[in-house]
Amino acid sequence: MKKETSKTIRELAYYSSLGLSVALSIFIGLFLGIWLDEKFDTKPVLTMVFLGLGIAAGFRNLMIAAKRSRKL
Amino acid sequence: MEHPYLFFVKLFEAIGLGHFVHGNVHVLYMWVVMAILILLGWLAGKNTKLVPEPVQNVFEVLISGLEEFMVEITGEEGRWLFPLAASIFLFVFIGNLIGLVPGFFPPTANLNTTAALALVTVVFTHVIGIKYHGAKYYKHFIGPVWWMIPIILPIELIGHAARILSLSFRLFGNMMGHELVLGILFALAGAFFAPLPIMALGIFVALVQAFVFFLLSVMYFTGAMEHAH
Repeated sequence: MKKETSKTIRELAYYSSLGLSVALSIFIGLFLGIWLDEKFDTKPVLTMVFLGLGIAAGFRNLMIAAKRSRKL
Repeated sequence: MEHPYLFFVKLFEAIGLGHFVHGNVHVLYMWVVMAILILLGWLAGKNTKLVPEPVQNVFEVLISGLEEFMVEITGEEGRWLFPLAASIFLFVFIGNLIGLVPGFFPPTANLNTTAALALVTVVFTHVIGIKYHGAKYYKHFIGPVWWMIPIILPIELIGHAARILSLSFRLFGNMMGHELVLGILFALAGAFFAPLPIMALGIFVALVQAFVFFLLSVMYFTGAMEHAH
């Protein structure tokens, strides 16, 4: 395989997996918050906090990807 | 979704283990894939020669191609990771392809199999991290400055959980979707020509998904070997 092709394939696989990880991070945060709320009986607070953390985690993936693409 | 006719399930029914395999078709077909891989490995390594025989030749091209590709990503220090990464690739690839044969069920079309693979991968990234950085590996999780720890730590933990889920869900979803589309087309459009394009696409999907799984696990390994940012 040529060097350029293998690099393209690598980028393709990496960026195509980015979207799924953003979505899954948000949902992990959300469901963790809901579960903790039921556990500690603090209805909306922890859901909101962990939803925020999940969204932050999702967007952190995008930031890392942006940083990588600038470095390459 | 239970297939109408699965060879190995019928075989196990015949020897009186039907109640086990009906609930765990994926486990049975995982054994089949394992048997195929062991057999192929035995055939390739039976008598290795300097001038290779056909089976050995195919394996040499495959293995050395994968190894070069992997070392390009990880750098030379990551060469010892190759056995795990290559086994993941070969297992997922054969596991995906086996679903195209009538009477076989792809073990990767079940969430349990893919979650097991993803767990092995992600747990092993932490093993690598501890091996390379020792106790200082915790710095990967706390960010650059101390007052950001309460924000960065949960974000990193959620990110690592998302790795497991995204690895397992992607493979499972693709293979399950492929099976489902094939099943619906077989039921609706007859058994011969309508599902053919989907099966041709299935070969492509099998290769791409195995490759993506391999590539992402190698990237996670590399991330664990790097210094904390």
